[in-house]
Amino acid sequence: MSYKCPVCKKEWKDSLQVARHMFGTGDKPHKEWVDEQGKDKGFTFIDLMIEQATTPGNKSYVTLAEIIEKAQSSL
Amino acid sequence: MTTTSLATTKFTVINTHVHNIDGVAKVTGRATYTFDVKLPNMLYGKILRSPHPHAKILKIDYSKALEFPGVVGVVTGKEDTLGVKQGIWRRYQDLCDEQILPLDKVRYIGEPVAAVAALTEDIAEQALDLIEVDYEVLPAVYEPMDAIKKEAPEIHEGFERNINVTRHIEWGDVDEAFEEAEYIREDWFKVGGQHHVSMETRAAVSDYTPDGKLTIYHSNQSPYYLQALMAGVLGMREGDVRVISHYVGGAFGGKFELDGAIFCSAVLSKKLKRPVKIIYTREEDFIASKRRTPMFYYVRTGVKKDGTFLAREAKVFTNGGAYTGMGATALYLTGFFHSFPYRWRGYRYDGYRVYTNTLPSTSMRGFGAPQAMFTSEQQIEWIAADLGLDPIEMRRKNSHYPGYEVPGQARIESCGIDQCYDEIQKWIKEKGKLPENRAIGISACGFMTGGIFNWFDTPYAFSAAMVTINQDGTVELYVGAQDMGQGSNTTLAIICAETLGVKMEDIKLHASDTDHCPPDLGAWGSRQTLMTGNAVKMAAEDAKKQLLEFAYAHAHIVSKTGLNIVYDLDIKDRWVHNVARPERGVDYSELVKIALRGKEGQKIVGRGFYTPHRKGMISPAYSYMLQGVEVEIDEETGKIRLIDSLTAHDCGQPINHLGLIGQLEGAFSMAAGYGYLEYMPFEDGQLMNPNLVDYKMIRATEMPPTAVAEIDTYEPEGPYGAKEAGEGLTNPTAAAIGNAIFHRFGVQMKENPIRPEMILNALKEKKEQKKSGKKNK
Repeated sequence: MSYKCPVCKKEWKDSLQVARHMFGTGDKPHKEWVDEQGKDKGFTFIDLMIEQATTPGNKSYVTLAEIIEKAQSSL
Repeated sequence: MTTTSLATTKFTVINTHVHNIDGVAKVTGRATYTFDVKLPNMLYGKILRSPHPHAKILKIDYSKALEFPGVVGVVTGKEDTLGVKQGIWRRYQDLCDEQILPLDKVRYIGEPVAAVAALTEDIAEQALDLIEVDYEVLPAVYEPMDAIKKEAPEIHEGFERNINVTRHIEWGDVDEAFEEAEYIREDWFKVGGQHHVSMETRAAVSDYTPDGKLTIYHSNQSPYYLQALMAGVLGMREGDVRVISHYVGGAFGGKFELDGAIFCSAVLSKKLKRPVKIIYTREEDFIASKRRTPMFYYVRTGVKKDGTFLAREAKVFTNGGAYTGMGATALYLTGFFHSFPYRWRGYRYDGYRVYTNTLPSTSMRGFGAPQAMFTSEQQIEWIAADLGLDPIEMRRKNSHYPGYEVPGQARIESCGIDQCYDEIQKWIKEKGKLPENRAIGISACGFMTGGIFNWFDTPYAFSAAMVTINQDGTVELYVGAQDMGQGSNTTLAIICAETLGVKMEDIKLHASDTDHCPPDLGAWGSRQTLMTGNAVKMAAEDAKKQLLEFAYAHAHIVSKTGLNIVYDLDIKDRWVHNVARPERGVDYSELVKIALRGKEGQKIVGRGFYTPHRKGMISPAYSYMLQGVEVEIDEETGKIRLIDSLTAHDCGQPINHLGLIGQLEGAFSMAAGYGYLEYMPFEDGQLMNPNLVDYKMIRATEMPPTAVAEIDTYEPEGPYGAKEAGEGLTNPTAAAIGNAIFHRFGVQMKENPIRPEMILNALKEKKEQKKSGKKNK
């Protein structure tokens, strides 16, 4: 199975790769999409990024990857 | 410095004892640096700088300055440059964030606000006091960990939490590798900045003439970059901007972006139609150029109990200062070289470059790697100690080897790190037992040989060269490479002479003038020997092939050399000969004359170019080294003295032997300074020691012997097997000093430069811990 970026529709085999792509690109449309998903859950793109930066492990990427997986059906 | 080489002599010019081709001009004072340039009708410029770390510019009134006798003109962002934004990362417009002469806001103390041109430097200086600037001072932030807080002031609009750039590198299953680890260690480090301290400060003379041509004499490390950047900001044709940089008094990574001297002198010259010269004072150079990037480094490493490396994770916040500059590249490279020179099953790096209201940080010799090695090589030493393993053997079993692929990043062709371990082991053994106040620290590293990334977005080949042959056989070599004191002109002339089969004195090299030399990305990332060297080799081979075509066809030469169809001809030492019977041949100048007649009087012209292809993400080749430093530490004062050192160094085939020695010695002095001397303290955004009295650098009398053991390898991508030398050696020394302190006292130095008070504090802390029965971890 492949996973699409919900914003630019590029594809990867792994949802974590899509999450890395979204953090790495970090332009306005990608940021806005993440902010939108985090509205109910209480996080923003920048919150996730800073959490990734300041805590050991890969939690923020995993969080975003899960959201991306759930969003696949609507893409 | 002494060197021992395992290389065999097979060349006539390469790796022989060749003096710098510009040495005589330099030591006799005839070399014309930008500082020495004087043009008719020339004016002198000075720059008014911001006293605030963060402020809005409300109004600039320079009417009184204009009335001052001898003042000819003033320029500001609002009236003259209209806040044009620029940056060297042209591929990404967001990162072109710097207005030299900003329109409405200053972001660090020392930022240019206006520039004055006058008949003398003194008049220009006095006129600065007459310019009135109304500022609205804004809250400022100086450290990256503060700048990412929600409540921190916004330095650039649209950059949330002041995050300028992020970089992520990852391979393997990091989390799974950590799960397999039998020992995990994590540490935080604070790694310092460093000033480039070029002997020649930023300097420019700009001369705009009514025909629309702008000629700029400028101290830099890439005339092509400066030409293209200046054409961009001034809206001119590239060909109408000529940059001349014949002699450069040091650059070290700090001189390939636009600086205030070139920008303001050009804007003034364009406005006033007269030449304008701006030379930074030493203080200006400290507060208003750029610096090595300070970093906060978190490192977590997982290994097996037998010392097998499994996983590493690094998270890095860099203090980017006010603008991007080359800092985005340093952010990637620090993360890449943090993995070097080892094999990790899983590796993850997250880098965050953060804007602050301080002097911008950028590239500097080592390009992010000295910071990476200070953290990595110390932690590895501590891990070896924690596990009771030999630190050299632990490094050896995890190191790169020829043919190894850094997953998704790089393929290693030549790699002599294993022999480096042997050399340092031998050196340590020969030292025997040291006095009680001394210890040896070691540190390994690897470094790139030119960068593959094209952030400048150049449409040209990365390097190019042209060779023409005169009727007497002498050679004109044209390159766009830049000699900034590292000796690249000599190295390129050596490659040309060796390839063409002529003598060094036959070569006249032309460089550092964009009107007459091909574009070349210049001197950064240790690229010129490999990249421009390959272009020169190709150009010389092209010229030689054209010459030999006439030799093969000419009856006189055929009879003299006893040639038939199965024999090859070659040229060595100006002797055109049959390879199988070298004694049979003709003089090279005779062949040149034959070729000229054969080409109806046209000169032989050879062309060469080089751009790396299919060489991974980072660099076409990598150097390797292991360094040992013997350090004496005074327990009472914390003072460090370097006693001796040896660097086992794999730079492939050395080309310019004397140049190599000079480069390695210079790199050691800079690396040692970074390790324990060169400190840049800021208070409220202001650098507290912007002079060479308070900014301490290593002096000749403090330099230890810096011996080098050359490790003989052959790099297939490099000209004649050559690769990087002289930048990579900036990387290991700070960690080696830290490791010596660790072995002397058992304390761990997590901040550099390692200053005496830090050692004393660590010793005090250790004593207290011992008292309370705690173990120092």
